[in-house]
This record gives sequence, C-alpha cells and structure tokens, in this order.
Amino acid sequence: MAVGAPVALPAGRALGWLVGTDHKRTAARTAVVSLGFFLLSGVLALVMRAELAQPGLQFVSDHSYDELFTMHGSGMIYLFLTPAALALGLYLVPLQIGAADAALPRLSLWGFWTYLCGGLAMYGGFLTADGAGRDSWNASIPLASSTNTPGVGMDLWVIGVALAVAGSLAIAVSILVTIVRRRAPGMTMLRLPVFTWAMLATTFMVVASFPVLVVAMGLLLAERHLGGVFTGATGSIAYQHLFWFYGHPVVYVMFFPFVGAVAEVVATFSRKRFFGYRALVVSLLLFTALSMAVWGHHMFITAAVQNQYFSLTSHLLAVPAGIEYFDLIATMIGGAILLRTPMLFALGFILQFLIGGLTGIVVASPPLDYHVNGSFFIVAHFHYTLFAGSLFGLLAGVHYWFPKATGAMLREGLGKLSFWLLAIGANVTFFPMFFLGFDGMPRRVPDYAPRLGDLNLLSSIGAGVIALGVLVFLANVVVSLRRREPAGKDPWGAQTLEWWTSSPPPRHNFESLPAIRSYAPLLDLREAAEAWPAPEEAAAKEGAAA
Amino acid sequence: MGASTRQDFDGLFSLYLWIGIGVAVLVFAAVAFALVRYRDREGRVPSRRSEANALELGAATLIVAVVSLLVFRTFSTEAKEDSTPPAPVRIDVTAFQWGWRFTYPGQGVRVVGDDTEQPTFAVPGDETVAFALRSADVVHSFWIPGERFKRAAIPGRVTHFDIRFEDRGQEEGLCTEFCGLRHSGMRFDVWVLSRASYQRWLSAHR
Repeated sequence: MAVGAPVALPAGRALGWLVGTDHKRTAARTAVVSLGFFLLSGVLALVMRAELAQPGLQFVSDHSYDELFTMHGSGMIYLFLTPAALALGLYLVPLQIGAADAALPRLSLWGFWTYLCGGLAMYGGFLTADGAGRDSWNASIPLASSTNTPGVGMDLWVIGVALAVAGSLAIAVSILVTIVRRRAPGMTMLRLPVFTWAMLATTFMVVASFPVLVVAMGLLLAERHLGGVFTGATGSIAYQHLFWFYGHPVVYVMFFPFVGAVAEVVATFSRKRFFGYRALVVSLLLFTALSMAVWGHHMFITAAVQNQYFSLTSHLLAVPAGIEYFDLIATMIGGAILLRTPMLFALGFILQFLIGGLTGIVVASPPLDYHVNGSFFIVAHFHYTLFAGSLFGLLAGVHYWFPKATGAMLREGLGKLSFWLLAIGANVTFFPMFFLGFDGMPRRVPDYAPRLGDLNLLSSIGAGVIALGVLVFLANVVVSLRRREPAGKDPWGAQTLEWWTSSPPPRHNFESLPAIRSYAPLLDLREAAEAWPAPEEAAAKEGAAA
Repeated sequence: MGASTRQDFDGLFSLYLWIGIGVAVLVFAAVAFALVRYRDREGRVPSRRSEANALELGAATLIVAVVSLLVFRTFSTEAKEDSTPPAPVRIDVTAFQWGWRFTYPGQGVRVVGDDTEQPTFAVPGDETVAFALRSADVVHSFWIPGERFKRAAIPGRVTHFDIRFEDRGQEEGLCTEFCGLRHSGMRFDVWVLSRASYQRWLSAHR
C-alpha cells in the first residue's frame, strides 16, 4: 500500500512506518491498531453472548466474565471508537482544509505510541496471575481499591487507560491546532467542511475532559498503592464525579466525528450542498457546551447530585440533536439520491442512532432512570448509539474515504452484503435488550433468571450475524486491496478539497488548490462550469428568498 | 405521597414512549419519502437550496416546547418521589458483598441472606414503607424491578426513600451496581402482605 512518497530516512521504509510524521501515516497506523482492538474486544463480546445464550454458567467463571465485560467495554471505548474517530480526523482534516501536513506531527506520533502502549498494557493484564482489569469500564471506589480488586492486571488496566486516553488527547491537540493554524488561504472558519467542524467540536471536548480522566486514573493508582485518596463517605462520590466528567463528553467524542462523516456522505450522495450549514455549526457548539454539563445524569440514583439540574441539561441535548437530524434529512430532500454502500451505512446511522437518542431522553428523566439504570435497557440504549450509530457512521466514512486513502475502490456487492448483515445483526442483538432490562435483567451478570432465556438466546443469535457482517467487511478490504479497482481523484463526485488531490495524496497533500469560496469548493467549481453567473450570486439570491 | 413509584413511572414512561414513537415514525417517514421521491433518476436535477433558517428556528422551537413538557412532567414526578412524610413502616437495608440485611427498627426483626441463600423480607401492602439504605463495603444498588425503582447504596452514606407496594405477592429484587465476583447472586425477594399477615410475619421472625 503506497501512502505518498516515502520520507527519506536512513533505515528506509520500515522505519518510516514506525516513526514517520506524515499525518496520513500516523492516522493510518492509529486506524489499523484501533481495528485490531475492535476485533479483540469484539471477540470478547461474542464469548459473553455465548455465555448469556442460556441462563446458568456454561463456558466461563464469574471471574472470567468480569474480565470479559470490563475489557470489552474499555477496549471498545478507550482503544477503538475514540482513537478510530481521531484517526479519521487526523487523516482528513489537513486534506479538507488544504494543509500540507498536520500541526504538531511529533505530538500526534507520540500520541499514537502512547495509545498503543496503553492498549497493550490493558490487554497485557490477561497474562498476569489475577487476570485483566475486572471492575467494568468505569471502575468504582472502593471496589477498585487494592483490597477489593488485588492484582497486577488491575494496575495495568489503570495505567493502560491513562496512557490510551493521554495518547488520544495528544492526537486531538494536533487536530485542533491544525484547524486553527493550518487552513489554506480562503478557508475561513465558516468555510470549513462539515466533518472538520465536527472534529473541531470533538477536540474541544477532548481537551476539556480527557485530562480529567488521566488525573482520575493517576489518583486511582495512588489510592491502590498508597491509600488515603478516595476515603470516607465522599471518596466514592468524588471518584464518580471525576470519572463521569470525562465519561459523558467522551460519548460525544465517539459521536460527533461520525455525524460529520455521515453529513459529508449524505451531501455527496444526494448530489447537494449540505443543508443548514450555519445551523449545524451552532448546534455542534451548543452540543459541545451542554456535553460538559450533563455528567451527573450517570449519578441520578446516588441521591448525591442535583438531579433536576442534570435532568434539565440532559433533556436540552434534544435541541441540537434535533437540528442535526433536520439538516441531515433536509439535505436529502430535493436531492438526487444514489444508494451506494457509504450512503447505506449513513442511513443506518441516522435511523438506528435515533433509537439510541430517543431512549437517551428516557434516561435523562430521573424517575425513569430509577428503573432502567444499571439494567440491560441501558446496554441496549448505548449500543444503539455506539454500535448501531457510531460504528455505522464510521463504516460510512470508511467506505467513502477508503478510495482516497488507498487509491482502490471497495467492492460494492460485498459492501452492501456487510451492511445488511450488520444492520440485521445489530437490531436482533440489541433490540431485545430493551425488554430484558425493563423486565429485570441487570448489567454485568453471567447468569440471570430463567424466564429471560428466550430473548437472551435471540440476542446471542444476532451477535453471530454481526460477526458474519464484520468478516464480510474484512474480506471486502482484503479483496479490494489485492485486486485493485483504481479510484482516481474523485470517484463519487464529492464536494470537499480532499477529492481535489490524487488518491492516495502525495506526501505534502496538494500539488495545487482550487479557489475556496464555500464549504463545498468542488461543488462550486462544478456549478460554475454548468451555469454562469457565478454560484455565489445564485446562493445570495436563494439566501434572500429564504 | 399517594401513588406508588410504579404508577409514577408508568405515567411518565408512557408519555416519553409515545412521544418517542411519534418522533421515530416522523423521521423514518421523512427518510422513506426522501428515498422514494428524490432518488437519482434520468433528468433529475438536485435543488441548490441550502439554507432555511426560519424553518430551522421553527423546528428548534417545537423541540424546546416538547422538551419543556417532558421536563415539567419529570420535575413534578421527581418532587413527588422526593417528598418523604413520616411513614408507618420503616426498614433499614444494608447491602454487603454479596447479600442483604433487612432490619425493622423497634420490632426486633432481622433478615439476612447472601448469594448462597437469598433473603426474603416482608412489607404490608398499600402502606408507604420508608427505607434507609446503607452499604457495608463497596457501592451496591437496591432494585425492585416490579416497583420500577432503585437507589445506590454507597459506603458511609445513608440513602432514604419511600416505596408503596400495591399488589400482594412475591417480587424479586437485585443489585444492579457491579460489586465484585458474586454480583449476579446478590438477589432478594419481597413478600407484599396484607396488614394482618404482615403482623404475623413479624411475630414469626422476632
């Protein structure tokens, strides 16, 4: 796979792959490693679903099950969705804004290695006597103390999480500074492509919240080895505040980049400029601000936070979310829609994330949360946002930008097959979980009441279909890279600058740049070629009519 | 404190459910409409319109209105559940790894059980029961799915809440906060009894 011209380094190509600072390479490395952690953490989920297919204990012990759900959750969040989202941003943002490279390339390179070391430390726990981390993805005090959870594996988990999150933070800083300092002439803030705006909002949240988790993990490590950090009646609550101050914004860190990707895909495959650009920018910023003020809704049942305040802020998230949905659908209305694989995944994101979002409003209400908190209803809710939502958004982006990054098209037939398998699998797996939770099945248990057996079996069958869908996707990548169908500069008729340059782009991204007069410069050129007068006059006329 | 937590939940939940279904139908229909009506066909020229801020503002206002209704209903339900008038029946619950202890202050009754033998405690039906929840070790959570209610048990803190049980019979309860190895075995049962049967149960357990 040729990613630009190799950097002139003494030890050549191999060393270039390890320490080259080209943003495209750092992003590709991060993406490939995060895919590896996705597959590992996914296998853990399959083992869990095998255990849960029937009541009683069949395959694993209580102890192993605790490791499984802990490493599945923390693997997917710290090691897959967050870094994958940032890798997408690190690859595309410089290209979308006409920059020759990302700012602070050594920082993002450091971020990649730190993240990789963190991931290896977390998974390395499986090789220790007491096994890997086993206190869930959020851990809690005093459960995570060295008396309640002894062992090197848990220490490795704490250190690994801190490293992985610090690495993601470094990559995000590089993206943020790139957007602020490296825009091409003419690329004003209100001409940034929608995906780049989404990444900007994402990196704001990362910078504000990720340091808090690094500190929380440092304190947790100190608590485990020195004691006296999270003590008394307030210690447990203090840890929860620190954790969720990171833990809620990170949910949107795993959401915004994919909203941005889906917005680009929907605009391109509707053959239309993205609708309501400025409203979307405002809604992203509103969302970002609110994201820092909702963490307490994870603590409704503790009776230790001001429930009304956090309930109000959480409900208000429906406003920017509603504007985003309005804009996505309005972009399709009046378009000329092409149902290619990226568009299918984008539609999957829009419709399935909706279910996650609407059930999210349910849990924003304390009296409703008092029932469903800690149950499988919550598991269903966040898998509709993170799996049926974010992962579908990521795959929309992967199928859309794969030709740009590799120069080869993905196969359309295999792409559609993997979409349908994943969509059917996701809904068969996660929809029954709403009923299971409502009916009294708690999270994080290997065993449950026999009356819940049928729905659990159905859910486990769905997990098998998901696995099949992932395999078809991997086969598609392998086949498409082996027998290449050249993509050319712009196979989709897209709108943003990354499609102006060759696929894959050269080391310094661009040989030339077109004039940048809006957030869709390539569409501007096509419209100008189709019809005179110039597009900005037409746009101004339409603006006046609205 | 008239209604039970279950009635509170059911009333509020059906509001959220129907609004949620309404929104979902609307969005699915809009997407289906776009896919059918605006597919790429011979001669189809996409619109160049890309902004309608008045319409966006209208949509945002509508969402704010719906959200206000939801928040108002949430707050009034929450206020009702938070008010704790003196209740005739008091039960102290202590959660521990991995079981429950139920004591009836002033009655000399105590029920303890763990994951090897789960405890069963009794309450009188149609009376408000005031719980005081504690934890002896790590964070646990006290959930009675049938009553649609739970609270966290946090070491060093006492959490007070009321539940009014209505239907006579047995209900299950469990821990929903991951608390270590035998978390899944941390269950209990509640007998909801008539006043007379409850008194008999108390004397039998003294």
